[in-house]
Order: sequence, then structure tokens, then C-alpha cells
Amino acid sequence: MQELFTRSLDSLDEIFAFTERFFAGREAEERHQYAVNLVIEELFSNMVKYNPTSAGPIVLELQHRDGAIRVRISDREAEPFDVTAAKASDPEAPLERREGGGLGLLLVQKYVDSLEYAYRDGVSTITFTRKLG
Amino acid sequence: MFDIESAGDGRIIMSGRLDAAQAAKAQEFLDEIASPRELDCAGLEYISSAGLGVLLRTQKRIMGQGARLRLVNVSNHIRDVFRYSGFDKIFVIESTPDSG
Repeated sequence: MQELFTRSLDSLDEIFAFTERFFAGREAEERHQYAVNLVIEELFSNMVKYNPTSAGPIVLELQHRDGAIRVRISDREAEPFDVTAAKASDPEAPLERREGGGLGLLLVQKYVDSLEYAYRDGVSTITFTRKLG
Repeated sequence: MFDIESAGDGRIIMSGRLDAAQAAKAQEFLDEIASPRELDCAGLEYISSAGLGVLLRTQKRIMGQGARLRLVNVSNHIRDVFRYSGFDKIFVIESTPDSG
């Protein structure tokens, strides 16, 4: 299941409606849908934030295969940004040292079973899986 | 869909989805409350890092008052987000009665 979304945070409602349609009728606990929504939001909003001048849409592709949900997010007009090499927030840091940066990436790492990044011919692609069960 | 309203005495009720598109609305509302103390999350379905950032800034603001935000009626899904981010050590969190 694949769909294109406008590069804007206003697309989040449409994205959540898209994942709702994807999960409808599948035997997956609600916590998996929550996790997939959250990881997609974190990655999508990063693309919006760090590549705001690009006019192209962001492509979202969801698959259910071999007991896992596989999600691919592609940005066709992007500068390279390897999300797997970026620094996540420290969950043990005290309040005074908390700034919010890297928090999304920390959650991504907690909620996925695999996370891959590829950059080729100007296309930035992030793929993650979430095992069901 | 996200909604936030004051119930008086520093008590605030949030409902719907607190995502990156709604974070500014939540922040503007909380910034107007002089002494926010308790966030009722009974109707809150979802929170992402953008929502956590809003709560973090609010917590930092009221630290000078010697206060700490208390989140009540927190669902299991949202409690997991706080636990994974380490935010369960920053806020006082009380679960929904049936979530254990």
C-alpha cells in the first residue's frame, strides 16, 4: 500500500488515516499501530523540518509480510541525512539537560526492530520494520 | 484532532492526538496558564516527541515555582512513550484505573 503526502506537518492527519486503513482487518494489536504511527511521524516530521525547501511529496509505503510491518519512507528531493547514524537523546539525562533534541530518534529506536537508511540519485529512503506479536 | 482546555486550579484536560502539527497549539495554551499542575490525559489518544517537548518546556517553566507537573489517567500506550523516553522520571504519572 503506497501513497504520496505533501511535505507539511498538516499531512499528519492524512498519514494517520492512511495507516488506519492499512491496519483495518489485520490481526495486529493496537500497540503496533501506535508504534508505526509514532515512528512514521518522527521520520516524516524530520524530513519536513530538515528539507523544507523541497517541493516534492514524500512517499510512504506499508507492507505486512512474514509477521512484521515494513514501512518505507522516501524523500525524492533530499540532501543525505543518515538517520541510523544520528545521535539520540539520553533517556537518563536529568531535566536540566533535557532540550528535546534527539528525542524523536530515541523513540524511533525503541519502537522498531530494524532501521535502515539509503541514499541514491537524490532519493533518501528510510526503511523500518516492526515485528507483530 | 486535538483539544486542550482549563478546568481551573491549574488543572488542564487534553484529548485527541498531540502530534507535531498540534504542538504549537498546546504550547501556546499552556504558556498562558500561570501555574499548570495537573494534566488529565483520559481523552489523550496519542503523543509523540513533539508533544513531549511541549510538556518538557512547561515543566522547566514551573520548576522555579518548586512545582512538578502531574499527569493523570494516562493510558498504557502513552505511558510507554514516557517510559522509553525517560520522561517517567521527570513527571509524576498516574495510570488509568484499569491499566494497572
